[in-house]
Amino acid sequence: MSEVALLENYLLVGALLFGIGLVGFFTRRNMIVMFLCSEMMLQGVSVSLVGWGRFHNDWGGQLLVIFILTVAACEAAIALAVVLTLFHQRGSLDIAVWQQLREENQAPHLDIAVPPAPIEDERKWPRLTPAGIEPDKDLQEVLHRSHM
Amino acid sequence: MSALFVLSAIGAVSLALGLWLLLPRGVPWGKPLGALLVAVALGVIASLVPRLGAWASDSVFLILAAVTVLSAIATITFRNPVYCAIWFGLSLLGTAGLFLFQGAQFLGVATIVVYAGAILVTFLFVLMLAQPKGQAVYDRVSSAAFLSALTGALAVGVLTLTIVGVWRAEPGPSQVAVVDRAALDSDVLAPDHMARLGASLFGKQLLAVEVAGTLLLVALVGTVAIVGQIHKPRTGGDASHV
Repeated sequence: MSEVALLENYLLVGALLFGIGLVGFFTRRNMIVMFLCSEMMLQGVSVSLVGWGRFHNDWGGQLLVIFILTVAACEAAIALAVVLTLFHQRGSLDIAVWQQLREENQAPHLDIAVPPAPIEDERKWPRLTPAGIEPDKDLQEVLHRSHM
Repeated sequence: MSALFVLSAIGAVSLALGLWLLLPRGVPWGKPLGALLVAVALGVIASLVPRLGAWASDSVFLILAAVTVLSAIATITFRNPVYCAIWFGLSLLGTAGLFLFQGAQFLGVATIVVYAGAILVTFLFVLMLAQPKGQAVYDRVSSAAFLSALTGALAVGVLTLTIVGVWRAEPGPSQVAVVDRAALDSDVLAPDHMARLGASLFGKQLLAVEVAGTLLLVALVGTVAIVGQIHKPRTGGDASHV
């Protein structure tokens, strides 16, 4: 097994993981998914580090990944606590809700206004063919339920 | 060199277009074409690097890499955040397999135990605690999808060129000498993997281990302090100026 080829393959996988995580972090609006994407970037870096560590016959790469794991655990705990707090304040996980966050004496700065979403229902409801005879309605019930 | 450049450009462009089509944009069309473009891009990028040599290790590596990268793409393209977290777990399993494939046994197991076992479960907990009813708008429409996909694919393309190009340049004296297999077998790939890893972790890096332990404690205290503020009555004025 060629060591150079192994290193190149691992670096490429790491680069792909990092790039995909970057795209997700930029474009997703759910705070938890954004955080997942940052963890994915850490994974890409870890893959590259382990590849380099094997290539140089050095334990440093693996040791650094162990510390990445530790820091990722701390980061996940704190960030999820912050996300939970933010969710309790506004009732939404959307990051765009917080784009007006600023100091009291600062002028407001808005990023690109997030376009209102086209709400189209993509779920496919079953369409039943009408069958049978419609039963006579109970007059009392019709009068009782005013919304019918 | 120019053929490599053209191939990298093709890979990056089709990766950008495919990711853009796959990302949630609030429109129902384009997913199959996006999947096709991403598959083409990954094939082109994988063809740029040399294969490992033996067909068995090649196929194992390619399967692991495909699981990792494809579930990473699924993580950022699925609309339901619970599915995103589960796909991320599969991606972590692929990463752990990649670690094991390189002989990093401890890291492979630790990734599964710590990441997939602890961190991911915490994510799922918070998702269950903080998930509003139904599919939220912000999960279905992403912001600036095309620019983001273009940026990410550009980064991947440049990184690919760097990875592929560095070793294809003339092998000068600056190039690092390749470690031979015997040296690897006596150190990084030695049978007593855990003993050596532990020796270097608690020998050279002892101070860093202590600092990491302190960091964990501080993070624990900080998390409890942050979450403890949720149920306190507000003192007023905290959301008036945002």
